[in-house]
Amino acid sequence: MLWFGLLSKRKSNTELIIFSPAAETNVLFYLNDAVTQLLEHKEEYIQFGVARYFAEYFSSVKNGNHVLFREFSYVKATPHNRASFLRIFWRCFRQIGKNGDLLAVLEYCSLLQLICPDYPPEMVQSAAKIVLIDDAMDCLVSFSDFLYAFQIQFYYGEFLESVSVIYQDLLSGKSPNTVIVPTSTSVEHLVSAVEDEASQEGVDSTLFTQCIMGLCERFKHSHPSPAAIRDILENTQRVSFYGFLIAMARNEKISQEIGALPSKSDLLIDPEMDQELERLIAQISISPTSNSSGSAAGLREPPRKASPRKSLHPRKRIEMESDGSTEETDSSEN
Amino acid sequence: MRPQRKAGSGAARFLAPTVNSYKLHLAAVKSLVPDKVVPRPLDLQVSKGLTKDIAGDALRINPAKPENRLAALSGTRLAHSPALAFVGDLAGLEHAMLPPPAACGAVMGDLGPQSYRVHPRRLTQSAGAPGSQSNTSHVTAGDVITASALGFPCGGRSHDDYAALPERLDLDRSDSYQCFRRNCVSKHSPAGGRRGLEECPLLERVEKLRLLNLQHNRISCMRNLEHLRWLVFLDLHDNRISHLYGVSTLTSLRVLMLGKNRIQRICGLEKLTNLDVLDLHCNEIPRIENLSHLSELRVLNLAGNRISRVEGLRGLDSLAELNLRRNVISGVAEVDRLPCLRRLFLSSNCIGSFDDLACLGESGSLCELTLDGNPVAQETWYRQAALRCVPHLRTLDMKRITEEERRMACVLARKEDEKKRETHKQAVHKEKRRLAIRNAAQQWEELKACLDLPTQNGVKEEVSSEGSPTHSTAHTNGLAQDPSPDEPRRVSPLSAPDCPPGGSENRLRSSSRPNSPRDPRLSEAGGTSVQSLSLSDSHLAELDGEMLRLFGPGALEALERGWGVQTAGAVTTIAFRYISFDAIIPTLPRIRVKFPNLAHLVFLETNISRLPQLAALAQVKRLDQLTIHPEGNPVVGLALWRSFLLYRLHHFNLQKLNGVEVTMNDVIAAERLFGTLGHVATTKTPRCRLLLLLEESRKRQLQFLLEGRGRRAGPTPEEDGRQLGEGLSRALFNYPVRDPSGDGQEEGAVDASRRAELVQRYLCGLVQWAADTSIKGEALHKLWPSMFVEMVRDCVLDMRDRPAFRQASLSRLTHTK
Repeated sequence: MLWFGLLSKRKSNTELIIFSPAAETNVLFYLNDAVTQLLEHKEEYIQFGVARYFAEYFSSVKNGNHVLFREFSYVKATPHNRASFLRIFWRCFRQIGKNGDLLAVLEYCSLLQLICPDYPPEMVQSAAKIVLIDDAMDCLVSFSDFLYAFQIQFYYGEFLESVSVIYQDLLSGKSPNTVIVPTSTSVEHLVSAVEDEASQEGVDSTLFTQCIMGLCERFKHSHPSPAAIRDILENTQRVSFYGFLIAMARNEKISQEIGALPSKSDLLIDPEMDQELERLIAQISISPTSNSSGSAAGLREPPRKASPRKSLHPRKRIEMESDGSTEETDSSEN
Repeated sequence: MRPQRKAGSGAARFLAPTVNSYKLHLAAVKSLVPDKVVPRPLDLQVSKGLTKDIAGDALRINPAKPENRLAALSGTRLAHSPALAFVGDLAGLEHAMLPPPAACGAVMGDLGPQSYRVHPRRLTQSAGAPGSQSNTSHVTAGDVITASALGFPCGGRSHDDYAALPERLDLDRSDSYQCFRRNCVSKHSPAGGRRGLEECPLLERVEKLRLLNLQHNRISCMRNLEHLRWLVFLDLHDNRISHLYGVSTLTSLRVLMLGKNRIQRICGLEKLTNLDVLDLHCNEIPRIENLSHLSELRVLNLAGNRISRVEGLRGLDSLAELNLRRNVISGVAEVDRLPCLRRLFLSSNCIGSFDDLACLGESGSLCELTLDGNPVAQETWYRQAALRCVPHLRTLDMKRITEEERRMACVLARKEDEKKRETHKQAVHKEKRRLAIRNAAQQWEELKACLDLPTQNGVKEEVSSEGSPTHSTAHTNGLAQDPSPDEPRRVSPLSAPDCPPGGSENRLRSSSRPNSPRDPRLSEAGGTSVQSLSLSDSHLAELDGEMLRLFGPGALEALERGWGVQTAGAVTTIAFRYISFDAIIPTLPRIRVKFPNLAHLVFLETNISRLPQLAALAQVKRLDQLTIHPEGNPVVGLALWRSFLLYRLHHFNLQKLNGVEVTMNDVIAAERLFGTLGHVATTKTPRCRLLLLLEESRKRQLQFLLEGRGRRAGPTPEEDGRQLGEGLSRALFNYPVRDPSGDGQEEGAVDASRRAELVQRYLCGLVQWAADTSIKGEALHKLWPSMFVEMVRDCVLDMRDRPAFRQASLSRLTHTK
């Protein structure tokens, strides 16, 4: 085992890298993944340099870029990964939000799949449900609405599922399967009260809060801080499940806790990226790919409207004899 | 004599002999001549008697036949002899004079009145010469016809003999009537005077009359004829007769001439079973009927009527000549039921095609036909076509069929057959093609239906279908709504037009064509025929000029087959339909290699549903146009698809997307939307990860860059990312090609689990080791103070006796040296 020693050395390094307690608990997970990846793509990484590979892997974990183009199971495996993914998604598609278009759920799904090829559409659907309150699924959604709803759904997925169960239980009048102390008669009372008010929409928020608090105590997945939940549920008498979710999505505190996305007011601001983008666009305008004179002219003067990109001169026909030139055509991609 | 006959009608020229031959008939009182065409025994008593008489001696009286008035009279009356002589001559000359097809009973043309009519006066006059001669030997074969024609009326005109010989009676025109009045007894003499008879005169003492000529009168009703039982020849040409009732009792009648009358219906001829010649030309008869009993009829003239269809001819077993000129015939039937028909005249009718004449081909006896003046005769190759229709024909439109024509017809026929076979083949192929496309569509539907369900649970499977109910309904009628206006078929309209799809899509001609090649609607490929490359029950691949169309997943095989350099080079457009895009993807790189001039891809019903799928198109490397039809491709419903495609395929310099020109603005907008994504992807993704994501050529590029960086250790990763270039940022978005084989996946799964196990074990060991180390360290940490104390104490103890210590140290040094 050549790299055994290296690995052990690396390990000590990673301990130095570790920066958040959440990540610390997942060191083994990342180690596992790193080694698995290494095994899976042995040739490439040995060529790349094993030590270099590990260094890059863990530094990317630290920077939060490690989830790019990774499989969904990896992306959602740790809270750190989730937060990283959210941040990357925001950074990548901020411009689309800036554009102001309302997009269909399917479209967001496609966008997610661009950076995580096997992202399951169901998750996107459920995120959209938060925005659209469980109906009218073919409606269009704005970028920011979707992003915050998606954050809640993605980051607290397991938690929301449990809450949903609790909510359903409450709704049907059952005593939710929580750790609420059975001695408190108030719960019984409240449950009966719920039965009385069954006709009304939603459940009593106090009871709901209690149940959620109970859940939080024993919940092993990540969950929003109880204080934030209390914040949300304090102000209302009754709450419906999706009402609760929307409130969560809109809650700045929870968003801060996750730490992946900027506050709503800053959502579309990312000067560093804007700068990069301008540079890219400028490059495109003069890039050699748009080879005709038309494009170069189009750069200086304001872009002409609906002007053809370049003259429609027929491309020179390639004869079959020059077939081996696929590399050539390939290099034209640059 | 001929010049004096008015050649008024166009047919007159060749009618002359006909008229003569008619007269000849008159003279012969029914064909004394055994007809070669109709070789049935002569059963007419009179003619038999005559023949017998003549056979021996023209002038000899045969007393054995008292009923034969010829016998009774022949001895005394020389004037009578010409007829006999003629008859005898006929008998002798029958072969020479009556060549079977031509002269005998030839009712050529419609016997126009002028040509048919023999002016009586002329007859009378010219009859003088032969009539005065009793010697039959003067009559030579050459002018028999004329002689006999003239000679006969002469007999009728000898007024002296008339009362005694009431065998013929010519009452045509007024003058002959006057003449007749003077000589014969007539009870009913109409006031007609010069204009002729108004009705049939009641003839007395003429019971034995055999020939009665009432031409050119004004008779409107055939009355007073009932008693003429012996009448053999009745000529009522050019009268005003409107029905046929009066003749029903004339059972001996053999020749009935009723041309140029006003008859509207054929009827009342039931008892005239001996009828040999029936002339009804220039009447108003709308249909052929009530003739089936005339099994002896040889000549039937129905020219100049209103007949629209040839029918009702069954039973006319002896009919040799049928004249139907100048009718309105459009269909010919039952002609094949006439076993003896040799001549058929259908000129100046409305026959539009040879299909209407199909039954002529069935007739084995027909050898003369006229069809001029029909629409069908306008066709090129008309004669040859006619000949092909009726192969036995010898004369067409009075012109002999030449060998050349016959050969030509043969060639034509062969060509036609080939064409027919070709058409049939094409039709069959067309049908097969249609079926293949339909099946492909059906399979596609089923596939979709299958895909729609598992999307709910199958995470990796097609994502698209849900949430887009429109597309599934959209293409259920996909096939039906595609009439193909652009089928380059030059075949007859007989082949039913089918509906191959592919019509609705933009047919983009190659960019190398000089004339407006980019017009998407420039669909007509001129004469290029569709070449089918691969065809099965459920798939079809066909090459239409520069366009390759593929229907159904099986058609992808066609891409694999050996392509000629020429053919492959010609293909500029490939259209996919009913093929899942994921199935197409693996072929895309090969497509580029195979078809160097490919400039346009068309996707129709290929289930492109997500943006990442579009990235796979990058493998084509070069394209001018791309068409992703909304039908069956949900991705087109997304707002961002165009931008993404433009961004991802930026290096293609796409000219047109779905037929819409791509502008610089579009490109910049696309960059604005997706540039960040690409930038983040390039600069943030770990290098090692990038290696995996890129395709082979780019990977090498990246590796080169990485190594360079390793050497120089100069630029920061950020700059490095910039160096890697914009192309790279796009190249990152690849659509993974899924391995369709389940085996590979299983193997992969096994591999993965084995690997996971290994990793697990290794990590366990690692953790154990780390833990051990940690434990040891902790233990050391605990023990260290006491150990240190011990060590210090030992040292102190050692150095207590200094000289001894020095001594020991020095000795150790010397020892080690």
